[in-house]
Amino acid sequence: MEGNGGKGEGKVYVGNLDVAAKSARKILMSSLRLGKLVDWGTAFSLWPVHLTTSCCGCEFAAAWSPRFDNEQHGALPWIAPRQTNLIIIEGTVSKKMACAVRLVWEQMPQPKFAIAMGACALDGGIFYNSYNIVRPWEIIPVDVYIPGCPPRPESVARAIVELQRKIKRDGVAHKFVEEGWRPDKEYVKPKEDVCAWWRG
Amino acid sequence: MNVEELVAKVKEILSDMVKDVVVHKGNDYIEVEIDKDNIIEAAKRMKQAGFDHIKDLTVVDYPKDGVFRIIYNLSSYSNRELSYYIVGLAYNIPRDKPETVTLYPIYTTADFQEREAYEAFGITFKGHPDMRPLLLSPPVAEMKPLRKDFVVKEEPIDLK
Repeated sequence: MEGNGGKGEGKVYVGNLDVAAKSARKILMSSLRLGKLVDWGTAFSLWPVHLTTSCCGCEFAAAWSPRFDNEQHGALPWIAPRQTNLIIIEGTVSKKMACAVRLVWEQMPQPKFAIAMGACALDGGIFYNSYNIVRPWEIIPVDVYIPGCPPRPESVARAIVELQRKIKRDGVAHKFVEEGWRPDKEYVKPKEDVCAWWRG
Repeated sequence: MNVEELVAKVKEILSDMVKDVVVHKGNDYIEVEIDKDNIIEAAKRMKQAGFDHIKDLTVVDYPKDGVFRIIYNLSSYSNRELSYYIVGLAYNIPRDKPETVTLYPIYTTADFQEREAYEAFGITFKGHPDMRPLLLSPPVAEMKPLRKDFVVKEEPIDLK
């Protein structure tokens, strides 16, 4: 790659990679209309991470059992946060668990989505105004809420279908590819460091 | 064995330590109040008499009287007659100086129960091998959330 002592002959000039990649993305997205394909692909590969914060986890597990079979919607719980793009917060999040939720959320690859499940995840439920809970929307951006205490497995299926519709309708995934971030959702940063007690 | 016999038996076991005995509704739970200094001796005698485990440890906060009431709920697995009943071994400690002694050497199951009392009420059990918060994170445990004078922060309902 290096030239002959910087004399100009035999040098390879490489343009600004970021600009080149961005324009290539633009060409692909606009002329070939790959956007719909990206959205379609993302909508049918929602992999929720196994993060059972609370008791709604039982209904979450039942939602993927043979009777309710959420796998038909193209979603399957996966073990490691590095290979998942959906987080389903199952029920109440205690202050200790908030740290785990945030760590898992930060490890997940983009574009990523969040579903808050159960009354506790909305406003606290029976633990409303408790000293030891955190509302999930304070620590991560939530796309779909499921009310109920606990919600039925059908509700989980409905939430996933609703999220798929949202991705396809708003073009969340291809906008992420174009822009590099999700333009439809604000970046949520916790007001206080949720892992401060753990870091010491 | 009916509950009157149980009360008589407990009075016989603890003899002069008993300050007060209350038979609760349902006739399966009695609460024996003793003095703070006698707790270790009382627990030893109760264990010898057949009450072999702690079912639960309860702390009640009485801010007007300025006391915490600590109640060890004892019962038995080995003695069939005693196993129908639960005996609460209760004593008061001053609220401004929440310190007492552990029953861990006598009843091993007091381990986690006392740690919970420590995190929720800030009561220190002297002689406990591992006096750390059990379930709560340390900043929350410092607030002593189950005390009566703990004020919860009012939070609005506003979803995003």
